[in-house]
Amino acid sequence: MHKAQKKQKKQKKQSNHIVLFIFFAFAIFLLSNRVDEFRVYQGASVAMFVVAIASIILLTGYSGQVSLGHGALLAIGGYSAALTRNYLDAPVWICFAVAILVTAAFGAALGTAAARLSGPYLAGTTLALAVGLPSIANQFSVLGGEQGLVFYVGFPPMRLGEDFTQYKWFFWIAASTALISMWWLQNILRSRYGRTWRAVRANEVAAELAGIKIGRSKVLAFTLSAGLAGLAGALLAMTISHVFPSAFPLTLSFLLLTGAVLSGITTLGGVIIGAVALVAIPQIADAIAIGLGNSENVVANLPGFLVSALLILTVLFVPNGPVEQMRAKRDHKIAHSRKL
Amino acid sequence: MMQLINTILIGVTSGAIYSLMAIAMVLVWRSTRVINFAQAGMALLSTYIGYELIQLTGSYWIALPLAMLAGALISALIELLFMRALLKHTSQGPIASVAPIIATLGLLGVIRAMIGFIWGNQDLILRGPLSNVGYTIGSTTLVFSPLKLFIITWVVAVMVGLTLLFQRTNLGLSLRASAHSPEISRLAGVRVDFIRTIGWALAGAAGAAAGMLQTPNGIGSIFPDSLEFSLLLVFGFIAAVIGGLDSLVGAVIGGLILGLVVAFVLTYVGGSLVFMIAFALLIIVLIVRPQGIIGVKAGRRA
Repeated sequence: MHKAQKKQKKQKKQSNHIVLFIFFAFAIFLLSNRVDEFRVYQGASVAMFVVAIASIILLTGYSGQVSLGHGALLAIGGYSAALTRNYLDAPVWICFAVAILVTAAFGAALGTAAARLSGPYLAGTTLALAVGLPSIANQFSVLGGEQGLVFYVGFPPMRLGEDFTQYKWFFWIAASTALISMWWLQNILRSRYGRTWRAVRANEVAAELAGIKIGRSKVLAFTLSAGLAGLAGALLAMTISHVFPSAFPLTLSFLLLTGAVLSGITTLGGVIIGAVALVAIPQIADAIAIGLGNSENVVANLPGFLVSALLILTVLFVPNGPVEQMRAKRDHKIAHSRKL
Repeated sequence: MMQLINTILIGVTSGAIYSLMAIAMVLVWRSTRVINFAQAGMALLSTYIGYELIQLTGSYWIALPLAMLAGALISALIELLFMRALLKHTSQGPIASVAPIIATLGLLGVIRAMIGFIWGNQDLILRGPLSNVGYTIGSTTLVFSPLKLFIITWVVAVMVGLTLLFQRTNLGLSLRASAHSPEISRLAGVRVDFIRTIGWALAGAAGAAAGMLQTPNGIGSIFPDSLEFSLLLVFGFIAAVIGGLDSLVGAVIGGLILGLVVAFVLTYVGGSLVFMIAFALLIIVLIVRPQGIIGVKAGRRA
């Protein structure tokens, strides 16, 4: 195939992405009519995790900064959405927008400090945030203390029909939000910013010599990632109808990181794998726990164990994630067959 | 006046415990260039073993050194069986810089879940060997108690032991040499891999001591998802960063500074701000003096 032809095909493929996303949307909305309530609710959680994991992949995979504290960013998003809803009585989409903006602003401030930190320092700093931030919510009465705040997005609109359930409404909101953010992120990553991040990730010194402002590129990545995390926080608050400090424990941050590593931290493509895994793990754990005799200790700790064990095993054996691993294998095979 | 003295004494006590945790993180950082986020889990596991030993022997005094020994063993095993394979497996590719951090986090989760499997999720009460009711001088009662005095004494003893080990023995010389430059030490005949395991073992012991001392001084009970141990990890990290992450003396000074700051905020400002102040301290140190208060190098590398 000629180079020009190849290029043309690539361009065509890019413009097709929006069609692909719309098709995708149509398919999952059709699907949501076919399955039972519980699956629909799980679908909403999957959509929430997709946004949260994408936020980590953007930050860690593309810009090379580690965050162990994404749970804290989700908390900020959830709380700002709930506050906007409760005190200003704003429409839902405005609450989501506020969640994104507030968290992104926080992310910009944190990112400015973080851009100067390398791996372990940044990891420790964000970990500190994840441990401390939710407990701060206990201290202020406006944040509702241990009980937290109610965040209710309202009944589904009447024109969707009588038997359109609440969970399905959650799912529609979450899934369309997730699709829009994925589409947006896909485009950002293909823009000059995406190229800049990849260049910085590959070789910081070379990128700097090529005229890239490293600090600015890192702060931008942190800001956008925080915005996405805030959106995920608002979605999480929606699905559980509340925000409270213990909804954002340290384990949430670890969970999201596990999801990102399972998805393949350097590629956006596998994000659905991680999200589905995170939703499926508690159920799988329950099934295993029943098989093991259903003792109280096992039931309570098996999900955490599975998440952490998966995290370790993935890092050890498929460090770049299953998707990337398969791609590398395929490329290797193709290269091999050409040589022959 | 009384309040000021009380605040200082409380600050020094908790600062001593943070110092131990910071020492543990510094030892691991020096030997393998990894921040060990699983340190909290290892300390918690050692404290659980300490709890069992107290039940078994009926004496905290026997349990404390044995728990430190157990902590050292656990830590050495983790280094031998897990970290070596991990660092070898993930030395290349875009994930190389992130992999150790993620792996120690996974380890923290695994250890916590294991503790849950074995001991369950309820609180276990671990009593200190001495009363935590303050000394009385004249008519006033200090907050400073026999337990706190013992904590400070024990921490000082551990530090003296470590200093002697590092300054006066061949093992200490090897530890310092391989932290400074592993390649040259290897050429000079130091068994760097073995020395790394020793570094981890010492860190495990220090972490175990921190856990065993913090529990009676703090809320007095342990459970798998203990926030106290997460805070211990975070404060240990902050203290280590204040001290420059590479220096044992720095870790001690960092711990004391952090302990005093936390105590003063608790007494004079209020409990709700403790965490924010500690976090602000971390950010300020990282921005103004990233090499730490002890660091002499022009800047931190990598």
